[in-house]
Amino acid sequence: MIPLKITDLKKQYKSPRGESFEALKGVSFEIHPGEIFALLGPNGAGKTTLISTITTLEKPTAGVVEVFGTDVVKNPRYTKSCLGVVHQEVINTGFFSVEEILDFQSGFHGVKFNKERLDYLMHKLALYEHREKKVKQLSGGMKRRLMIAKALVHNPKLLLLDEPTAGVDVSLRETLWDFVRELQKEGMSILLTTHYLEEAEELCERVAIIHRGEIKALGATKEVVAQFSQKKMVLTLNADSPLNSKYLLKQEKNNYEFMVPTEMTFGELVESLRLSPALIKDVKIEEGRLEDAFMKVIDGGVR
Amino acid sequence: MKIENKELTWLPFVALLRREIKRFLKVIVQTLVSPLISSFLYLLVFGVSLGSKIQLESNIPYMSFLIPGLMMMGLINNAFQNSSSSVVTSKFSGDLEDIRVAPITNHQILWAMAIGSVVRGGLVAIITYIVGSIFVCFSQGQFLAIAHPLITLCFLVLGGLIFGLIGIAIAFWARTFDQLSAFSAFILLPLTYLGGVFISIRELHPFWQKVSEMNPLLYLINGLRYGILGLSDVDLTHSFAISLVGLVVFYLVAQWSLRNGSFQRW
Repeated sequence: MIPLKITDLKKQYKSPRGESFEALKGVSFEIHPGEIFALLGPNGAGKTTLISTITTLEKPTAGVVEVFGTDVVKNPRYTKSCLGVVHQEVINTGFFSVEEILDFQSGFHGVKFNKERLDYLMHKLALYEHREKKVKQLSGGMKRRLMIAKALVHNPKLLLLDEPTAGVDVSLRETLWDFVRELQKEGMSILLTTHYLEEAEELCERVAIIHRGEIKALGATKEVVAQFSQKKMVLTLNADSPLNSKYLLKQEKNNYEFMVPTEMTFGELVESLRLSPALIKDVKIEEGRLEDAFMKVIDGGVR
Repeated sequence: MKIENKELTWLPFVALLRREIKRFLKVIVQTLVSPLISSFLYLLVFGVSLGSKIQLESNIPYMSFLIPGLMMMGLINNAFQNSSSSVVTSKFSGDLEDIRVAPITNHQILWAMAIGSVVRGGLVAIITYIVGSIFVCFSQGQFLAIAHPLITLCFLVLGGLIFGLIGIAIAFWARTFDQLSAFSAFILLPLTYLGGVFISIRELHPFWQKVSEMNPLLYLINGLRYGILGLSDVDLTHSFAISLVGLVVFYLVAQWSLRNGSFQRW
């Protein structure tokens, strides 16, 4: 069954003054079972609004959100029991310790005698030695890990991660990504929103780029990169020779930098330059990156 | 409805109720000890010092008359405080969204929070009763007996539920702390003081008696007074009927507030 299917989702906010703002303008996509799917977009693109409609914190203005084939508006109790959510903002519970928070969270999701799972999660996320502390005594990174543990107490089949690595240091980020991969191996489907494009590129099979409430690009990560980015090739020649090509970006002595479409091969470039292979001393090829594709989409290159 | 997990019927409710009770026990000085001190002071000032000069129509010692009133006052104040501050602090820290995101129904939220309020309010009422009994014991040589335990219990539960629900309704609707304290100061406090906690409305001018009869708190206070002393200013069935209507009305109001209010962080 499809873990998450979003069809033509629209969300309009009305300000008290009567002005309306369209946060989502007809978004459609679906997540395949057992994949990590990334939703990329600049601040204010509508990522959090989208997550909020999946968790029923916000009601959609139009469109349908289905979690494992069930409409979240019609049967929220079922869909919520399949979901785990890590919110973007760190939640600060004043009264309770880490262990108590996780215990209540299990109860809210209808899980009884959950000590084993909680101990496992606390060990896994390095919270075990802090289990008696209150949230305000935890460091920023520990709070993040607590948020993730909270989302996993009931072993959800679909995990929503809303910028889980914002403000997290490099080593912790690596650990978290390893953990996410491990969860995927256990069969969990994961929707991730992030600013860190490199990681989305490394982790996710498929990505969608969302901008101003619209999906601008959607597909396998490699394809999106190929579609919207360019490859850089630097040729070092034996001798300075006048080259004329629409792909030429700049020349420094006998180093020539070219920007070519991702699908173009090195051979094709050489052929188009009518260059004798004997002249070529060295070659450097840099594959296009998701970041370039992202910038191109956001800057309005794609309509 | 397709609910695969049968545990979802009860566990979320039980978890939320446990959380509500554990929360007020974590701040026990504020939630149980401070009401204990204030009821002790009320009993000392009104019951002991002034009480000896007051002669009631019904010939009941003023101290005994005062105790059920103070119990109900403690009950409703603390019931209101418990649910409203639980919701508002959760709004402040953001964990109210956790409840919205969990598979828990609005009915479960309402009942869990209202029962949590009954527990705290009930504890305060019982503490007030014990302290009052000790005072009565000193002045009259015997403890204050409860005339009708079942009726007493019934009104304690009704008062706690109603004010727990009012607390929920106001807290979900409120957008600032000010709105919450405005309700306590401008509505709740006057109604309790004028609802017959300290006075028998039979002692009032007929006009003010009519006005007092419009105060819904009068019926809760006098219902409890009947339960403990065996007599009150208002007919028992009357008290009971009006309190039940109050429960239904405020349940619906709280439900409306939950549906239309905000779970979002301040």
